[in-house]
Amino acid sequence: MKKFSRIWLRKWGAFPLWGLLILLLSAYPSTGASGIELFTATQIFLWVTLASNWNLIGGMTGYLDFGHGVFFGIGAYTMGILVTNTSLAFAPNLSFWQALPWTGLIAVIFALLIGWATLRLKGPYFSIAMLSTFAATRELIRILRPVTGGGSGLDLPPVLNRVGDYYFMLVLMAIVVSLIGWIRRSKLGLSLVAIREDEIGAEMRGINTTFHKLFAFAVAAFFTGICGAFWAWQNTYIDPDVVFLQNRNILMIMMCMLGGLGTVWGPVIGALILYLLQDSLWSNLADYHLLSLGILLILIILFIPYGILGTLKNNKISLLDLLSRRGFDTPHR
Amino acid sequence: MKSWLITPLLLASLALTTACNQQSAENPDSSTKTIKIGAAVSDTGKYAREGKDTRQGYELWEDWINSQGGIEVGDRNYQVEIVYYDDESSPDTTAKLVEKLITEDQVDFLLAPYSSGLTKSASAIAEKYDKVMVSGGASGDSLFTRGFQNLFSVYTPASYFTQSILKALSEKGAKTVVIAYEDTLFPTNVAEGTQKWAKDYGMEVLAVETYPRDTADLSAITSKFKSLNPDIFVGGGHFNDALLFVRSAKEQDFNPKAMVLTVGASNPKFVQEMGEDSEYIFGPTQWESSMQHQGNYFGTAEEYAEKYQAKWGEPPTYQAAGASAAALALQMAIDEADSLETEAVREAMKELNEVTFFGKINFDETGKNIDKPMGTIQIVDGKIRVVAPEEIALIKLNYPMPGWKQRNESVSSSSN
Repeated sequence: MKKFSRIWLRKWGAFPLWGLLILLLSAYPSTGASGIELFTATQIFLWVTLASNWNLIGGMTGYLDFGHGVFFGIGAYTMGILVTNTSLAFAPNLSFWQALPWTGLIAVIFALLIGWATLRLKGPYFSIAMLSTFAATRELIRILRPVTGGGSGLDLPPVLNRVGDYYFMLVLMAIVVSLIGWIRRSKLGLSLVAIREDEIGAEMRGINTTFHKLFAFAVAAFFTGICGAFWAWQNTYIDPDVVFLQNRNILMIMMCMLGGLGTVWGPVIGALILYLLQDSLWSNLADYHLLSLGILLILIILFIPYGILGTLKNNKISLLDLLSRRGFDTPHR
Repeated sequence: MKSWLITPLLLASLALTTACNQQSAENPDSSTKTIKIGAAVSDTGKYAREGKDTRQGYELWEDWINSQGGIEVGDRNYQVEIVYYDDESSPDTTAKLVEKLITEDQVDFLLAPYSSGLTKSASAIAEKYDKVMVSGGASGDSLFTRGFQNLFSVYTPASYFTQSILKALSEKGAKTVVIAYEDTLFPTNVAEGTQKWAKDYGMEVLAVETYPRDTADLSAITSKFKSLNPDIFVGGGHFNDALLFVRSAKEQDFNPKAMVLTVGASNPKFVQEMGEDSEYIFGPTQWESSMQHQGNYFGTAEEYAEKYQAKWGEPPTYQAAGASAAALALQMAIDEADSLETEAVREAMKELNEVTFFGKINFDETGKNIDKPMGTIQIVDGKIRVVAPEEIALIKLNYPMPGWKQRNESVSSSSN
């Protein structure tokens, strides 16, 4: 019994803590937090959710998706087209909640179509294929002017509700991180990790790799689409350039790498740290903002390739090892 | 009494007296109050250049009004303080900063960022918190169709950009127009307006073409237009597109009788880059220091330009002048309302009807500045000269422009 509870604690122990944190956070708006505080918190939740989604396909399954922002864009544009009241060819003028399920659904359909083709590719070929998908979709949105408004973009109804936004993203983040935590510990998650470590071996052992990869891709796309839809609503204006931002792809990846690829809590910690860093420190560096982003990325890869959590979990790696960049081949999980 | 007790006692009494002093300093009667105005403008990112001009325009006004003793509201003079942040040319950062300006810095009014796209994100937040926002750097027509009460812009709207030149050219006998524009917000509005004005002035639009952002080659469009042999060619885009249009027109010997290029032509760098090929090109402009505007506050456009030059060591662009004019409009509305309440100032903004160094400022119900005509310049002998509308023109416009080949001949013959 004692042994069982210890195993249970090790496997699920973090979840009650996560629940408690969400509960505490849900009380935050009633402490009289100001608009900017709620807004900042909402953006952190958004990034935690985005990074966690990327981690599912990039970290756990090992398919480094350099164009994951495409699902963000699909979600944003689906929301934009469905809720905006314009004279364009297709403008059903739905409400936010009516449009929301469609944003995720269309992102999933898009993911299945794209994934069916791209997930057969391995390594850098997949990354490049996704990067091209990202750029191609942006141009497609520009060309489909009668529906998307082309380069002039779409004006969403300017309804802003910071408290509502806060709770929406809090709940979405709670769901996504819990779901990914569960997937990681389930047979499904083990299969994904098996695919990452040795895809052919996994297939030999009877894992349906195509199904598993597509499933992970679709789940990640669904929630990323919802995030995009939320962003479009919050920003009240979308055009191809603000929605399909290359920077967003890179940030998602950096947050995962900083926190720890393939871990459940890594993207949470990575997103939190990187957002706050960017917010406070980098706003003072002005022109060197992107430069410092690049240098940080290089430093992460050089010195903590397994991220904060991946490094902490591995007791065998000492600080000296990290600084001398030894111990890379030590199994870290 | 032990001696070491004295030190903390002394410190405590010192703290107490400072506290009392502070209290008296905060007494409203004995201090000058300030009006806090928030501005998120781009120091970095793709609008860094225009953002810098915008900020310098705001700062010039800030210094000037404070040197004049501030703004009088009720029977008290208020100094002005503008709180600036760098929006990084990003809508995410703009939204965050406007939210911060309103809820944390608790500003009384807002000045808008540069560009229509960023102003869209920012104005939705100003509307939510019911703060007046004045823009000196956004002309997209669709900014004013969202039903916002609090957004005002001193720019002539984009759809009016080509009005004065099309009118002038139609009077010179031009009959046909072709249009090419970049597929983004502002050029689209310009192109839509151009089609409307062409019809209004009895001209025929022969073709309308679009091209994507950051394009590197426009020769396909100019070669198509060449076969149509139009009187007027209107190119709507940004600085780089203007260079491309002129280069490919010359290469392909495309000879419209007039070339109107929206953004590039009015920039002095355009003449530097293109040299003689920039001759005869028309360009719409929000403002030039040679325009014959005169107002009560900064004097004439020329005098404004002198003040600007003295402070910043460079001549003002129209973005800088627009920024100063936006702040000036806010100041006049506060003066008129004699209040700092949003509602009173907003109503005063709508009532405003003044001539300034920037031209007339008269907002309609939606916040557009409807009475300021868009100027047009032509490059003549390497100089940017205002040619339309007639009221503010310095010289008569040159029409038609000679063909590329004729020009080379005349140059070679003159050198002989």
